[in-house]
Amino acid sequence: MPGRTTLMPQREATEQADADVTADPDRPWITIVWNDPINLMSYVTHVFMTVFGYAKPKAEKLMLDVHQRGRAVVSSGTRERMELDVSTLHGYGLWATLEKQT
Amino acid sequence: MKVSRRRGRLRLRLDPVENVLLSRLIDELDTMLAEPVGEDDVLKRLYPAAYRDDSEAELEFRSLTETSLRTERTERIAACRADLAQSDEIDLTDEDAGRRWIQVLNDLRLALGTRLGISEDDDHDLDPSDPQTQPRVVYYWLTAVQDSVVSGLMR
Repeated sequence: MPGRTTLMPQREATEQADADVTADPDRPWITIVWNDPINLMSYVTHVFMTVFGYAKPKAEKLMLDVHQRGRAVVSSGTRERMELDVSTLHGYGLWATLEKQT
Repeated sequence: MKVSRRRGRLRLRLDPVENVLLSRLIDELDTMLAEPVGEDDVLKRLYPAAYRDDSEAELEFRSLTETSLRTERTERIAACRADLAQSDEIDLTDEDAGRRWIQVLNDLRLALGTRLGISEDDDHDLDPSDPQTQPRVVYYWLTAVQDSVVSGLMR
């Protein structure tokens, strides 16, 4: 059912390079959203649009990265900013973490 | 259950029995949320770790954010409960109303889905003799409600 599909875990895709993100000394921390079997694809897209103000194509691409690759980097910046993003995403029930960009 | 947009107003219409069911599920969630996070799978899923490899940073993050996140959840549950008590027809046009409803529906799905062990292998097959069939039907119904509301908000 299109749009009613859930985000499925892909265990093999836990650790891999994120092609979208390049090391940037001014944005040293990143927020990562991880795959889970319950959150709906439509909902996750909507959350990315609402929380980050991303246009629908970008939000959908990030959602598909989560779905297909197991994770996606959804924002980058200062540690404080990323903690705020993670906390906001937790409020929406998304599985988000932050870490220092390598 | 039907979500429709008419004259610019987005509405979720529930049958009276659906209103009763949703109110009960929300009450159960509210009770569950009063517990400390501890080892409960649902609470761990609703309050996940922000740091994967840094327990000290995680502890500090939790001390700074958990209380406000808990308050946020409790307040939106109370607001949705008040919506249900008022009418079977919920107006989602207001930004706050739309947001709290998709968040609460998502919390309900996360709680029930985690309890049911919903996984990538879930095949939607329902066996009438399985005691989990009834909660799974409720879970699929919540999924349909949430998907309709999200689609309505995105249109």
